[in-house]
Amino acid sequence: MLSIFTRRVSQALLLLLVMSLIGFVGIHSVGNPVFNVVNIETATVEDIRNATIALGLDQPLWRQYFLFMGNVVTGDFGTSYVYHLPAFKLLLSKLPATLELAVIAMALAAPGGVLLGLWAGRHQGGAADRAILRGSVLALSIPSFWLSMMLILGGALLTGWFPSGGRGATLSFAGQDWSVLTLDGLRHVFLPALALALPNVALIARLARAGTIEVERQDFIRFCRAKGLSSKRILFRHTLPNISIPLVTIIGMQFGGMLAFAVVVETIFAWPGIGKLLIDSIQFLDRPVVMATLTFISVAFIALNAVVDLLYAVLDPRVRLST
Amino acid sequence: MIKDITQKPLLELKKLTISYRSRSQTRPVLRNVDLSLHRGEILGLIGESGAGKSTVGNAIIGLLAPEFVQTSGSILFEGRALEGMDEQERDALRSRRIAAIFQDHTMSLDPLMSIGAQLTEAIRAACPDLSGKQTRGRAIELLTRVGIESPSERYHSYPHQLSGGQRQRVVIAIALSGTPDIIVADEPTSALDATIQKQILQLLRELVAETGVSIILVTHDMGVISEIADTVVVMRDGNVVEHGSTATLLDHPVEPYTRDLLAAVPRLRISSGKRTDPTFAVVNNASADDEEPAKRAAILVVSGVTKAFGRTSFGWSRKPRKPALQDISLELKPGAITGIVGESGSGKSTIGRIIAGLETACEGEIVIDGTRVDVASRRQPGGMLGRVQMIFQDPAMSLNPRLPIGDTLAESVRFGSAPSTDARLAISVIMDRLGLPMTFLTRYPHQLSGGQKQRVCIARALLAKPRIIVADEPTSALDVSVQAEIVELLGQAVSQEGISMLFISHDLALVQALCSSIYIFQNGSVVDGGSPEFIFGRSTNAYTRCLIDARPERFTI
Repeated sequence: MLSIFTRRVSQALLLLLVMSLIGFVGIHSVGNPVFNVVNIETATVEDIRNATIALGLDQPLWRQYFLFMGNVVTGDFGTSYVYHLPAFKLLLSKLPATLELAVIAMALAAPGGVLLGLWAGRHQGGAADRAILRGSVLALSIPSFWLSMMLILGGALLTGWFPSGGRGATLSFAGQDWSVLTLDGLRHVFLPALALALPNVALIARLARAGTIEVERQDFIRFCRAKGLSSKRILFRHTLPNISIPLVTIIGMQFGGMLAFAVVVETIFAWPGIGKLLIDSIQFLDRPVVMATLTFISVAFIALNAVVDLLYAVLDPRVRLST
Repeated sequence: MIKDITQKPLLELKKLTISYRSRSQTRPVLRNVDLSLHRGEILGLIGESGAGKSTVGNAIIGLLAPEFVQTSGSILFEGRALEGMDEQERDALRSRRIAAIFQDHTMSLDPLMSIGAQLTEAIRAACPDLSGKQTRGRAIELLTRVGIESPSERYHSYPHQLSGGQRQRVVIAIALSGTPDIIVADEPTSALDATIQKQILQLLRELVAETGVSIILVTHDMGVISEIADTVVVMRDGNVVEHGSTATLLDHPVEPYTRDLLAAVPRLRISSGKRTDPTFAVVNNASADDEEPAKRAAILVVSGVTKAFGRTSFGWSRKPRKPALQDISLELKPGAITGIVGESGSGKSTIGRIIAGLETACEGEIVIDGTRVDVASRRQPGGMLGRVQMIFQDPAMSLNPRLPIGDTLAESVRFGSAPSTDARLAISVIMDRLGLPMTFLTRYPHQLSGGQKQRVCIARALLAKPRIIVADEPTSALDVSVQAEIVELLGQAVSQEGISMLFISHDLALVQALCSSIYIFQNGSVVDGGSPEFIFGRSTNAYTRCLIDARPERFTI
């Protein structure tokens, strides 16, 4: 058990190392961040040289990388070139917004998708099944920006039910500001969460439908019916657990994606999350922030993978109790 | 057998006709089926695949797929028509009066739920007013009744922790949970080993004697029928061909079809080792001159092969399991058929796959035709490719469904051990010999019947010009009448092409008829071996005797 743990941790560390190398070299080859730091109109050659030395960009790339890694080990990702704040602190300040958006979106998408999928799978070929299938194709193929704008149009501009952007009122908890702790904040998070959730509902529903059809064809489901169990009990006590492993996998991975790459939705709803931070930082060549964000995303994916693996064992006795 | 014919039947099928309905066609699968079942009776329903016997079972339980429609006739349970009941009444009937046992014990239990929970939910469906403690008590009682040892511990086990026989016992316990009047058992022992099959049939018979339950036994196996059924109904293409008491029907079959069915069952001969069964005449001629191959050097020598499975999944390492094969040594003479017999998990298929180079072994040596092959690596030295060919159990699973038959066969010619210049000629010669029409070349596997598919598999193996064919249960997925043809073809192939064959099977009678020497496998070791005369006549090995005794007596001469 311990050896598995150490092996997984060392794999994770190796992954982080490789990721940092790719990120570092990548951002270096995009351009010189100095031109984003000094005012290009007025700066003299002297100014640019000073700024370059101040940022440590005069050193060879390999030395810059080792300096950076040395600092990272002590928990310091450096100072943002743009915001002049410690990069890690900047990341932390964006974290609550991203977390609450992703959690709420998944809380809508997972049960919704699973229920729709079970329903469609149970009534395969019926009108509901066909409607769900067509709806899911639509939801998966609509571009995210268009969906977001339509939600703003329908949910905010025309009806006025929800605000069209921003985080609304926040409440401070554990040193950060949270929208979900206030009613106004919750109203603000609903539309962006829905925009993130809809494609995922479709994805999860399709997966759940395929699983349901496959599992319900199996003999143990027929045997359950022969036992005289109600079809509702069979669906939730037998079919659902048996389709849960692929569902848990996709939910875990999609959740990671929401944390990292919800940039379109975050931008349209003016939701200051991590996805937006990453894209902005890449644009400004703000290397410390890019590296801090990429590291966070990698750690999040590694952690989600570990959780998914643990859930396999919880869900499936064949994994848990290998004889 | 507490049965009274004068009594009113418990269940009656009257002119039952069921049709399969799809968008394009309506096709009857049952035509005017009449049968009656009395209390305490075991009724055997026998027929080959497509005979409609499972449809009868499903109609009685009420689990017909929606495409199957009862077009006329009636199913009367205690005089009441089942088709007139609503879904709720059917559910109640299923949980309390009519229970079911299915064939595949690996599939009839939910793999994610403990057997105790699956049993209690069935008890709760049947008797909702029992308290939690009473329900559990009843579950333990049922587990004890079906012969599960230490039931209160097993209660918390999951299906994968039980053996096949134990799982089928749990399935029977679940079927008994509502103290039913009828159990519909669809091939209840077909997926089990012969020794376990005997125990399960024994259990069913005891249950009938104790509780007076009636059983409808759906099977393709005459042996099972002869062991426990009181009456038999023979079905073919949705019609009842013949019915009567088991003894009468087996001894004096009236209909030609019943006679054919009975004749096709391979019989085990205990008293003398002389093989004179007319069914396998060709084979017998081929291996009659036992003397000659014995003098020649063996074409295949396996010595000291050992294999252990260690599995890893999801990154959670597992302890190596107990060795799958321990120090296996065997020989195959040129032009001979050697049998490997054992129950599931004995390692008989694993050794076949290792010899064919499909799996690796940990230790040991395999010499094929004078060339030593590396057992630890799946890569074979040049020229070895195609020298050993396999024929698998299920022809439907061993042919690429998207490849026309002709392409499958051409592949064999191209990559076999002696690439032929004229593939078309080679294919047409083999097709002709195996009785396959040339029009099959453009067809796909699903358009062929099981027997035809297995012929294609044989053709595929022969076209690679192998020295050795490993046939792993080549007939067990086929109907009895087709089995005999395939066995005959395999025998011909060996005698005409000068090939040697390793014949892996669980069927003693088949092995006896076909093989000139036999190895008995148990738990990954060779426990007995020798000529059929020795194995079936003089062997004193306890396990060999046990296997022979497990055969249905009716088909032992």
